[in-house]
Amino acid sequence: MNRPTDPRSVVMNLPRRDALDKLTGRTRYTSDLGVGVLHAAIVRSTVASARILRMDFAPALAIKGVRAIAQASDAPGLFGIGIADHPLLNGTRIRFKGEPLAAIAADTLEIARAAAAAVIVETEPLPAVMTMAEALSPDAPTLHPDWKSYELLRDGGIRGGNVAWEARVIRGDTDAAFARPDVTIVEDCFQVGRQNQLPFEPRCAVASFEDGRYHIHTSTQVPWTVRAVTAKALGVSASRVRVTVPAVGGGFGLKFDCTIEPIAAVLAQKTGRTVSLVHSREEENLTCLCRENAELRIRSAVTAAGEIVGREATVLMDCGAYGGEQVFLTTMTAHTLGGNYKLGSVRLNSRAVYTNTPPNGAFRACNGVYNTFFLERHTDNIARAIGMHPLELRRRAVLGDGDIGATGQVFQGDVLRPMLDRMAVLIDRTKDHRDKADGRLYGRATTVGTWFIFVGPSSATVNLNADGSATLVTSGVEIGSGTMVQALPQIVAATLGLSPDEVIVKSADTDAAGRDLGVGGGRATVSIGAASKMAAERVRDQILDIAAEMLQAQPEDLILTKGRVEIAGRPGTGMAITTAIARAEALFGPVSGNGNFTAPGVNALPGCAAGHFIEAIDIPVFAVHDCEVAVDPDTGHVEVLSYKVVQDVGLALNPRAIHSQIQGGVVQGLGYALHERVTVGPDGALEQPGFEQYLVPLAGDVVPVEIDLYEGAPSIGPLGTKGAGEVPILNVGAAVACAVSRAVGRDVSELPLTPPTVLALIQGRTGRMDHPQISAIWQDNLLARAT
Amino acid sequence: MPIELTLNGESIALDIDPRTPLLDVLRDRHGLTGAKAVCREGFCGACTVHIDGQAVPSCLRPIGLLQGCNVVTVEGLTAPGTLNRVQQAFIDHDVVQCGMCFPGMVMTLTTFLDGTPNPNRDEVKSALVGNICRCTGYERIIDAVLSIRSEGVA
Amino acid sequence: MTAQTGYGLITTPQTVAEAVAAMAGGAVPIAGATWLLRAPLRHEPMPDRLMSLRCLTEVQALDIGPERAVIGAMVTHDALAGALAGQPDLAGLATAAGASANPGIRRIATLGGNLGAAGFAASDLVPALLAADVTAVLATGSGLQSLPMAAFLAGRGGGGLILRVEIARSARRAAHARLPMRKAGDYPCAIVSVSADVSGGTIRDIRIAVGAVESTARRWSSLEDRLTGTALDPARAEAAAREMSDDFTARDAVDAPGWYRLSVLPVLLRRAFTQIKV
Repeated sequence: MNRPTDPRSVVMNLPRRDALDKLTGRTRYTSDLGVGVLHAAIVRSTVASARILRMDFAPALAIKGVRAIAQASDAPGLFGIGIADHPLLNGTRIRFKGEPLAAIAADTLEIARAAAAAVIVETEPLPAVMTMAEALSPDAPTLHPDWKSYELLRDGGIRGGNVAWEARVIRGDTDAAFARPDVTIVEDCFQVGRQNQLPFEPRCAVASFEDGRYHIHTSTQVPWTVRAVTAKALGVSASRVRVTVPAVGGGFGLKFDCTIEPIAAVLAQKTGRTVSLVHSREEENLTCLCRENAELRIRSAVTAAGEIVGREATVLMDCGAYGGEQVFLTTMTAHTLGGNYKLGSVRLNSRAVYTNTPPNGAFRACNGVYNTFFLERHTDNIARAIGMHPLELRRRAVLGDGDIGATGQVFQGDVLRPMLDRMAVLIDRTKDHRDKADGRLYGRATTVGTWFIFVGPSSATVNLNADGSATLVTSGVEIGSGTMVQALPQIVAATLGLSPDEVIVKSADTDAAGRDLGVGGGRATVSIGAASKMAAERVRDQILDIAAEMLQAQPEDLILTKGRVEIAGRPGTGMAITTAIARAEALFGPVSGNGNFTAPGVNALPGCAAGHFIEAIDIPVFAVHDCEVAVDPDTGHVEVLSYKVVQDVGLALNPRAIHSQIQGGVVQGLGYALHERVTVGPDGALEQPGFEQYLVPLAGDVVPVEIDLYEGAPSIGPLGTKGAGEVPILNVGAAVACAVSRAVGRDVSELPLTPPTVLALIQGRTGRMDHPQISAIWQDNLLARAT
Repeated sequence: MPIELTLNGESIALDIDPRTPLLDVLRDRHGLTGAKAVCREGFCGACTVHIDGQAVPSCLRPIGLLQGCNVVTVEGLTAPGTLNRVQQAFIDHDVVQCGMCFPGMVMTLTTFLDGTPNPNRDEVKSALVGNICRCTGYERIIDAVLSIRSEGVA
Repeated sequence: MTAQTGYGLITTPQTVAEAVAAMAGGAVPIAGATWLLRAPLRHEPMPDRLMSLRCLTEVQALDIGPERAVIGAMVTHDALAGALAGQPDLAGLATAAGASANPGIRRIATLGGNLGAAGFAASDLVPALLAADVTAVLATGSGLQSLPMAAFLAGRGGGGLILRVEIARSARRAAHARLPMRKAGDYPCAIVSVSADVSGGTIRDIRIAVGAVESTARRWSSLEDRLTGTALDPARAEAAAREMSDDFTARDAVDAPGWYRLSVLPVLLRRAFTQIKV
């Protein structure tokens, strides 16, 4: 049966059902559950690289109120994303300062911390590498001497020494392209620092051990990953781990990995008590799984007409002491740095490099954010070199319908070019803000960006209750983006002819719902939404069949609306849905439906990509940003005067909520571009332990974003949707950097553009950026193929 | 000697380390978790409460200095089931996201509007310098606050 | 994070004499306690024995008279900013009190706390008090002691209990220029506070204090000498400051490198001059 859900019945500015409790302080986050439980503290390394000779827990155990200690032997397994290289608690070789070595549960947090401080850790120093340049030098010490023996969780990566993973793209003959007599060759180096997600709720977990199973209540985006990793780390069957998730106080990708949950689980099992483990802000900041620092060398061969006939680039991504997310993210260089533009030929090398620094992770649009900065600044430099207006170059070069991407995927539909036109309209609508520069240096830039919706598996169950309400059961998590409280109930309600507040949304519980990849990467509305829609449609079909029999009508002629089953076009006919439900329950039992979803997969050109987790992207998402800045030539302060976004959203289910996501995402991007600086000190520790040092945008630093939602681009998402929350941060760094570069008349080659960085640029203190650790000869940066 | 103060309208007496931050007293002893422990250094504003009618970060107030003070938290700001005009405006404008900063935002803005009934945009922004939000990008929060002003004017 | 164990004690002396005696016995006075409560973040133990000043009337004064201003140690930034509005000779102090940190902290952080926190390099009040040429009044075991601000800072931690500062009012004009990394809300990386006696467009006398650049705020005497007797000209003041910025050994810290502080110092002086000129 084919009864398409009418998108018009889904689209609305539905308010959030969780707002009232959040505004009155009643929402209980994981970090609010610390009453009547044991508290845990982590014993951390105080050096960046050392062999552990001895750990003596006796002084800790002697403290009254200490209940249990978790150590390496309690969780012997290694975990990771592409490579299992990461121990939960390290008992042998310290690889970063702040690394968890053990954990202690005690009656109070004060006792747990005092006990953690009392543990004696004897170490023998080992040489350390704090930068990727050091890590790649020929005589560098190897962080993971046993790298060859690690379990590979994904095939195809090229690995070796301090290179955790290398992903390559080779399409076409770049040598020939660069040798062409009619091309201009432009070469640049860029770099970025780390960015801390700084969710207000730190990573935390409350664990108990019930009937032989671990129950972990945690602030996570990925309950099923926590379940799997906990089982792996503890060496137990995954079926013995239950993960539940209350409201999450911000994630932004930080909580897209399992981190401290298994530690709490071990302590719960050992004590038989409920154990709360909450990172202090300092622990959270100093071990934050940041957006990684990165370095790039790129060169392009471009004709006078703006045709990019060849491009070569090598990106170094600092994964810190363990591979983690960066191993996966090497994939995304192909689709971001290799995105936006038509390329005649291309060679890309994306390398995740180990250093003796805290591991990095995922952060909203991940490496797409800096690759877009690199790419757009490079594009501006190309425009200058060939004497073409940067906007004209973009108009000519952006990908359109039928064009092939870096890995040979064929893009469908003209999207970026009409979005550039829409941005031109948006810009024309308001006059520029040059007058607000008030004697400062003024700059403006429009940039483009390509990201993707990370699809992956989801499942959903819809139970239609006897009272006419529906219960939606998924493993989705409400991290603040609104998916669980707005988009999903809107989809289910529209399918079943209910109002969204009649759809109960069960919070994530791995014992109740099927597997899910997690909330992040813009996938929740798409994947969980598609599964939910399918589940609701199966429920609808059962009800319509029953009702058709009761009404002596054809199911195709019936619709569900306003809590009734009616004959289409004849309002008031039919019956209340509860009548049909009662009939169904009498005949077959309660009504429910299941739905599932996964990515169908898009083809790349065979042989183009090596070491990639995703060779072609299922749902591309495009963004066009425009920004005006004023730069104070005396102090280097950058003020954003205006910000505009045209975003490809497929279908906007809840336009108001998407506007909120865009405003919030752009402001996080402004933080990345201008304020948020993470530095690694000489001892390998991050130097921003708190809010005094790590500066995020405040109310006075931001502007209202002017927004145009671009609908109608192709998408496999339900009703043509695309995730809208991930992407708004994508080209903020790029737009600000290009605008500042034009304002000051110098090449901006790094982010963040803090006042000292900008003033150094203006005063000529900054030389042209070069990365000797990346050879100018592309092939020289490749590892030999692993044996 | 116990420290006596008024918490959400009730007299309480505490016999604890006087250096304990008010924030921890609220959360750990009284189950009042509306004030969030986020930065613990007065920069984020998520633990803001009213002490003698002033919006201040509870993480920086040792309980021993609060003898005789009147403390109101977000839980005690309004009668159960009711909202004040700031909370109502935030619902009407759909500005909440993860929600962790909002109890503090509400506390700060409630006293701010009492003292500045018709603020302009810049004044609202200045009032929020000590209330960080990581999700929303602020501007819609400010729109909501300004809607209260315009209702008051009309 | 330093684990805090043991039980602390906060006493509440009823007289200054009691307070001074308690200090002699090792009690640490607290005013707003904003610095104290962040001790765990600095990995410092919190003192066990503390002393609240709330019952001492001598530290509560806030009297901005025509001849003299008296500001008690317990006066908060917020209260001070409110009381100083519209007073040209104290405009620098008003800006310092009204722009430091954020509104919530300004409602609790005090004058006395800023003076007592020797480890706080980026205090706004301290350079403003230097420029205002205040006298600090301390209670000691041998009675009241009055100290010029510079002398007080040099001997900070000398044991006296800060009661108040006193300022002789005059027809001077003052301004306070600070440079945080954002618009507001973080500690400034450099501060210039100026108080000048200007007549006929000429500087008759000037005090320039610099904060946040070195670990302790101090007067910029050489620049004061150079500018005295010259026209009140923001651009020329900036140029003179740039020539003389070697007078400072600027801090390299996480928030800003030393060269940056020195580079913006003349700009802040110009801004302060521009405010005074208006």
